[in-house]
Amino acid sequence: MLRFALTRIAMALPTLFIVAVSVFVLIRLIPGDPAALMLGDLADPASLADLRRRLGLDHSLPVQFAIWFGNVLAGDLGLSITSGQPVLPLIVGRFWVSAQIVLVAVLFASLVAVPAGMVAAWRQNSLADIALVGAATLLLSVPTFWLGLLLLLFFGLELEWLPVVGYVSIAEDATRGLLYLVMPVMTLFLHEIGVVMRMARASTLEVLRLDYITHARAKGLPEAAVLWRHAFKNAFGPTWTLIGLVLGNLLGGIAVVETVFTIPGLGRLLVDSIFARDYPVIQGCLLFVAFTYVVVNLIVDLFYPVFDPRVTAE
Amino acid sequence: MKRLAFSLCAAVLCTAVPAAAAAETVTVALNADIRSTNPGVNRDDNTDAVILHVVEGLVGYRENGTVAPLLAESVSTAADGLTYTFKLRRGVTFHNGAEMTSADVLWSWNRYMDPKTDWRCRPEFDGRQGLRVTGVAAPDPYTFSMTLEKPSALFLDTLARTDCAMTAVLHRDSVRPDGSWDRPVGTGPFRLGEWRRGEYVTLRRFDAYVSPPGERRDGYVGAKRPLVQEVKFVTIADAATVKAGLLSGALDIADIPDDDIPELSKSRAIEVKTAPTATKHAFLFQTRDPLLGNVKLRQAIAAALDLPQLVGHVSNGLGRPNGSAVYVTSAYHDEAHRRGYTHDPARARALLAEAGYRGETIRLIANKRSSVPSYPAAVVAQAMLQAAGIRAEIEVLEWATQLDRYTKGNFQMMSFTYSARLDPAQSYNQFFGPKDRFPSKVWDNPKAQELIEKASLVADEAERRAIFGELHRLMLADAPLVFLYNAVDTTAVARRVRGYAPWVASKPRLWEVSVGD
Repeated sequence: MLRFALTRIAMALPTLFIVAVSVFVLIRLIPGDPAALMLGDLADPASLADLRRRLGLDHSLPVQFAIWFGNVLAGDLGLSITSGQPVLPLIVGRFWVSAQIVLVAVLFASLVAVPAGMVAAWRQNSLADIALVGAATLLLSVPTFWLGLLLLLFFGLELEWLPVVGYVSIAEDATRGLLYLVMPVMTLFLHEIGVVMRMARASTLEVLRLDYITHARAKGLPEAAVLWRHAFKNAFGPTWTLIGLVLGNLLGGIAVVETVFTIPGLGRLLVDSIFARDYPVIQGCLLFVAFTYVVVNLIVDLFYPVFDPRVTAE
Repeated sequence: MKRLAFSLCAAVLCTAVPAAAAAETVTVALNADIRSTNPGVNRDDNTDAVILHVVEGLVGYRENGTVAPLLAESVSTAADGLTYTFKLRRGVTFHNGAEMTSADVLWSWNRYMDPKTDWRCRPEFDGRQGLRVTGVAAPDPYTFSMTLEKPSALFLDTLARTDCAMTAVLHRDSVRPDGSWDRPVGTGPFRLGEWRRGEYVTLRRFDAYVSPPGERRDGYVGAKRPLVQEVKFVTIADAATVKAGLLSGALDIADIPDDDIPELSKSRAIEVKTAPTATKHAFLFQTRDPLLGNVKLRQAIAAALDLPQLVGHVSNGLGRPNGSAVYVTSAYHDEAHRRGYTHDPARARALLAEAGYRGETIRLIANKRSSVPSYPAAVVAQAMLQAAGIRAEIEVLEWATQLDRYTKGNFQMMSFTYSARLDPAQSYNQFFGPKDRFPSKVWDNPKAQELIEKASLVADEAERRAIFGELHRLMLADAPLVFLYNAVDTTAVARRVRGYAPWVASKPRLWEVSVGD
């Protein structure tokens, strides 16, 4: 198991290096100068050159990359151009805000969507199946920003149950913190439920058609036992992989949801940094996102044998 | 179950908005977080807006854009126009309780002019932009003097500029022992509370604040009493969330898009207030472009634009056409500046013929930022140009990319917004200058150069008025750009908030503002 994990991490290193190079080059290919953005419409060439020099943007690209990558290897992602803050603590702080929303939303979505998908498959073509598939498709089709705004209008403005603006950390005040998280979590939960449910239904349908399920039913096992003991374990594998991919994606940034609910998370940090051409933060965020993706998928792979003993971590 | 639901609702109501705190707090929306708390250094408009509640300069802007004493009691100029003497107001204290004296002014000035500080406005005073301060002195605790290399009519205005943070006077406790920035210890009506990056910044009332003289608020001078306990600036990027925040009562004050005016005006809890600002929307021409280098073609474009219709459309009827670099409510906006381009399709066609225009496509760059009318103005202009027989193609760019093209002068025509400059000479300096040295400048004319230099030297208002009138006439003839209108600040204000008003500098002012029931 440990060897497998270490091998996977070692295999991820070239990926992370390619990400680092690509991000560094691509962000600089986009027109736009952080120094010009900082100085605005009165920037004269001398002031621009001065600021570019102070930001280290006057070096050639290979030199800039060598300096940055050398620092990354030493665990230093540099300083933000706009705020002057160290990038790594900035990213980690924002990441935990996003992570608590994403983890809770995906957990609840999985707890609801997997049984719902199995029920839909079990009762294929029934009214329940049509209703569940219809609901899943609808939730999948609704853009998160629109769903978020609807929740905001309903729970925030109409019912006045939940705060519409601001953010309080759970660590600071658990009750208020939870209240501020309800709507963002609900938005993601409703969206992801559709994704997971469709996969759970499809993989369960596939398993339910196999001979060993027919055999189990022929033995006279109750349906619940057939579904739980025989169908679920085999059908859950693909869904588990999908949950890993969804988690990796969402942990990489939920900028839209964070913007609607004024959550100071990683996605908003990344978007704001792109608009400000804050190169160190953009590079740091994307490298961090790639790393998170690798780690999440590694964890998913390590847990795979729990659900499907045919797969080993060796 | 019912009990659980009741408990949950009670918890929500108790914790969502603490009522006592809300009563003494005014919550203001900002569309982006501030960059730092270091005045005039790492800054943008939002940073200036917040920090100018905390710090003050020797002089500040009045409501009409002229400059008046703020921390100074009086300002006198020597007969040769080179030495300015500031008599300081007595009894003014910093947020740490120390009395402000000329030693603090001297320390602040020396810190600003130290290259290590990175003050944005150092080039404005070290000779790089023409103005050089050759000496400063603090002969007694309440007198501070500054000597210039040559007379300048823009000196006080530059000191008062908001992007220079009013050349704020700071206490030396603002920096750490190693000289690095810590937090602003100023003399403003509010002191810095808490800054949660990406979330909010709070300001607390400075109880020992001594307001400048004046019966009423007047720009950054006049009465400046801090009446509320706390001001909270909350970062909200999304306009729909701002609207929800206003309607729910979570926000008290927010700039809103024009489109939201009808809906928010219907709310009994909200009042929408508007004020023209000094921000200028314009179409810029690259006069070194092979096509647009032809003044006849530029004039034809100007004649093809129906500005009242265009402005009415893109500003939802709030803006008023202004073809001048001098903003509409300026003391210098007189009859001369009311002259502008008139919509004359026949003249446009005649000018096109004179220019030898053969249907070449003109690329018009615009961006889709919601805070400026760049794109809608470009769309309307495109239709008007097409009606006059001019082919224009809109190229939509993201703001950073457009700014890059602007800085390099790499465009044919651009729908652009200039930030507010209150003195007319400063306003002309935004777009006038030698193109070889400053590629972003759109107007380069030797006669205008003379006039702008003269306007920078002459202090007499009547003489300056004549100069700006002549500059405007020259600008209309050269047509290096077409000014459309001055932006209108549209602010939604909760009715419980009293005394708030938007103004020409387009920045919130929370002093002389109170809250009722």
